[in-house]
Amino acid sequence: MGSRQDERPADSTGLASRPGPGERIARVLLAYWPLGPLVRRVARLRASVHTKLLGAFLLIALLLIVMGITGLESIARVARQSRLLDQARERVDAMRQIEHALGLQMNFMRNALLLRDDATIESMFRENNRFQETFDRLEAAASPDQRGTIRDIRSAQDKVMATVARIAGLIREDKADEAMDLHLSEGYPLYREIATLVTRAVRAEEAGMGRLRDGVEVTYRRALLLTGGFAAASIVLALGLGFVISWSFILPVREAGGFLGRVAKGDFGASIDVPNRDEFGALARQMNEMSRELHELYDAQRRAAHQLQVLNAELEQASRAKSNFLASMSHELRTPMNAILGFTEMIRDGLYGDVPPEIQDPVSDIHTCGRQLLGLINNVLDLSKIEAGHMELALGEYVVEDVVNTVKLSLRALAATKGLDLVATVPTGLPLATGDSKRITQCLMNLAGNALKFTREGRVEIRVAAEGESLLFAVSDTGIGIPVDQIENIFEEFRQADATVSRDFGGTGLGLSITRKLVELHGGRIWVESQAGKGSTFFFSIPVRVAREAAA
Amino acid sequence: MKTVLYVEDNEFNRKIVRQLLVRTSYRLIEAVDGEAGVTTAREAGPDLVIMDIQLPKLSGLEATRQLRADPATAGIPIIVITSFALAGDEEKAREAGAAAYLAKPYSPRELLAMIRQLAPES
Repeated sequence: MGSRQDERPADSTGLASRPGPGERIARVLLAYWPLGPLVRRVARLRASVHTKLLGAFLLIALLLIVMGITGLESIARVARQSRLLDQARERVDAMRQIEHALGLQMNFMRNALLLRDDATIESMFRENNRFQETFDRLEAAASPDQRGTIRDIRSAQDKVMATVARIAGLIREDKADEAMDLHLSEGYPLYREIATLVTRAVRAEEAGMGRLRDGVEVTYRRALLLTGGFAAASIVLALGLGFVISWSFILPVREAGGFLGRVAKGDFGASIDVPNRDEFGALARQMNEMSRELHELYDAQRRAAHQLQVLNAELEQASRAKSNFLASMSHELRTPMNAILGFTEMIRDGLYGDVPPEIQDPVSDIHTCGRQLLGLINNVLDLSKIEAGHMELALGEYVVEDVVNTVKLSLRALAATKGLDLVATVPTGLPLATGDSKRITQCLMNLAGNALKFTREGRVEIRVAAEGESLLFAVSDTGIGIPVDQIENIFEEFRQADATVSRDFGGTGLGLSITRKLVELHGGRIWVESQAGKGSTFFFSIPVRVAREAAA
Repeated sequence: MKTVLYVEDNEFNRKIVRQLLVRTSYRLIEAVDGEAGVTTAREAGPDLVIMDIQLPKLSGLEATRQLRADPATAGIPIIVITSFALAGDEEKAREAGAAAYLAKPYSPRELLAMIRQLAPES
């Protein structure tokens, strides 16, 4: 997993790591168009992301609404002009009908003058009436600028009707010539006048229709242009706004990604610079704040680590010095002890000749005191070593019974001198144990030695038992016991149950403290059960197999 | 007659061994520091060396190592006198090439027994 992360490019956002075609186009647009500055300007707008998005959508929606209204209006205008066109066409049709009716009227008049029968005259009147009807219809639909012409036509027609009535009367009275004269002098010129007026009206209506048709064409073209223009503008605006707004978000997010990547790699104190004044700007400010805090923390931590290192080196130095001091102290104390005990032993062994009987006792005392002094020196050095952490256990396999026997043999003489029974009970079948047998012997020796020391009569018993993975050693005596209130600190250094005890029984009170520490080094524990006046039992329990870690 | 070299800076301890060996057939030669110990061992070629662990100029362990490394003296058994100062003194003595070790304060009787074992009187 780690190696895969290492393969990643420096830009850890992953967004720009593998540019697709869209990404490349966006980069070109940002670099060469004025879109780059625009993106920064949008980012710099003091408005929230929500407001910016809403603004963009509203702008596009507004454009679409305007486009819709304009389109509807264009459609309405085209419809209105079409209607006007239809009306104009109707008027032209009506004018044509009047032209036709006028022609028929003149035709029937001519027939009536030639044939002079009632049926033809009736037909003439009927035709005149029909013209009248048609004309009435036209008058209602006429456009205002045609009203003058229509009025002229009506007055001419009214005259025609009067003239026709007079001509019909003359025909019925068989005054054909007079009728013909009347027709030629009044009727025909009136018909010509009407024909001229109608023709003029038709021309005017036709011209109006042409103008209307042109208007419809213009309106239609304008509507098409407007709608198309708005649609194109909407698309461009939507794309542009989308691009600008989304990049005004993408750029700071990428910045932040790269920045966090650097922080994750441990580059504390790096800062991020985005032009945004929206949520992304706030986020960037907080990230910078975080980075600064991290940097300060990191600095503080580094300083602390350095101090710790210095301190550690000093401690190590001190520890080495202490260790060296202990080693040389031990040697310096033992060297004269070696001479004292060595010379005494050689005197007692008769190396310098026979020892006079009166000298034998003091020589023996020197030897005893020398050994006591050595024991004290050993205890103090042991304690110092344990305190300094230099006590190391020499772990090895040992037979539990051997340890107990060593202790029993060493103390047998002391027990016999005091008239005490020293009993050791070791069950058969104990497993081969692992531990520092010298130190375990030292522990048992301390406890049994103490028991003998503090017992005036009775017995001292050493018992061992295997309890699961532990060995339980117990040393009980029938001695003076320990008062309840002093049991707790019996294992502290320089403690004896009573200050007077050391006067009566001797000892420095180091033995139990060292024993406890050695037991604990073995990963075990020590405790005591006692009743003042009746005796005590000291227990310690250590693992059958002491591991190196437990001993540490 | 076997020669025993005792390297020890304390006069009284040297005196103990001197007097210990008076009634034996061993000839004792002495050195008071590590460097002198190594030089004397090379010159005199003793049958046994008793080396104190803590010596001026050159520690007993280092002197032991040098004697073991030199083919001329590598065969001489060395008893290292440890001082039980820190755990592992004995291991260090063995690693340096000691044939045996004895903790200070030692019993002269035991030392003599050890000498006799490592370099039997002829």
